[in-house]
Amino acid sequence: MNETVEREFTIRSELGLHARPAGEFAVMAGRFESEISVGNGREWVDGRSVLSLLSLAAGRGVELRIRATGADADEAVAVLGALLERSHAEIERSTAG
Amino acid sequence: MKIMDILVNDAVILNLGVGSKREVLAEMAGALAKVEPQIEADRLLEVLQEREALQSTGIGDGVAIPHGKMAGLDRLVASFARSPEGVDFESIDRQATHHFFLLVVPEHSGGQYLKALARISRFFRDAAFRQQLTNAETQGDIIRAIAEEDTRL
Repeated sequence: MNETVEREFTIRSELGLHARPAGEFAVMAGRFESEISVGNGREWVDGRSVLSLLSLAAGRGVELRIRATGADADEAVAVLGALLERSHAEIERSTAG
Repeated sequence: MKIMDILVNDAVILNLGVGSKREVLAEMAGALAKVEPQIEADRLLEVLQEREALQSTGIGDGVAIPHGKMAGLDRLVASFARSPEGVDFESIDRQATHHFFLLVVPEHSGGQYLKALARISRFFRDAAFRQQLTNAETQGDIIRAIAEEDTRL
């Protein structure tokens, strides 16, 4: 059964959605069955494409919407949303540890 | 921000020698250091490798954006290199990487870094732009392709 879930999240990291968190987001998005899109109010982009995610230029405080369509949409939005809302320190810990 | 304002034209490499990930980074760092007095090749290579160790900057679609911070640099600088054969850059889609956009940022670059990343990502998202780089026959062709995209977007 396909459902669509959409929610808004705020970028918390002072460096914004830069290359590393965008890469982690795209890889994680690829682990879900659902189709994932990310929108900034002006455009929707493919959540599995780092180039697309980076092109949003999402700095700190920017609100992004995640839209997932598929059997695991609920979980996908929750997990991916948590990635967007990590602080800079949390992003550092995710790969440096 | 315009990419042509940060691109060091003379450091653009039309065809990289076939090689490993490390050799690509070394060749690009060397080319940039040769024309950019604020950059020391060995130090830049070290910084780039430290960053790659955290997560590959091979972001898929045949594109990598190796980058790093350098103390003492007074502005963002960028270069580009192409590998017609493709390099195993441990990219996230596991495909070979052909286009390398190197970004070196000062220690406190603020929002400039994110803006430069976003802009170059917009360029590379465009398949026609990637094709132009693939078809380039001279260093000048590559610089022209980037300059045209800079005007268009």
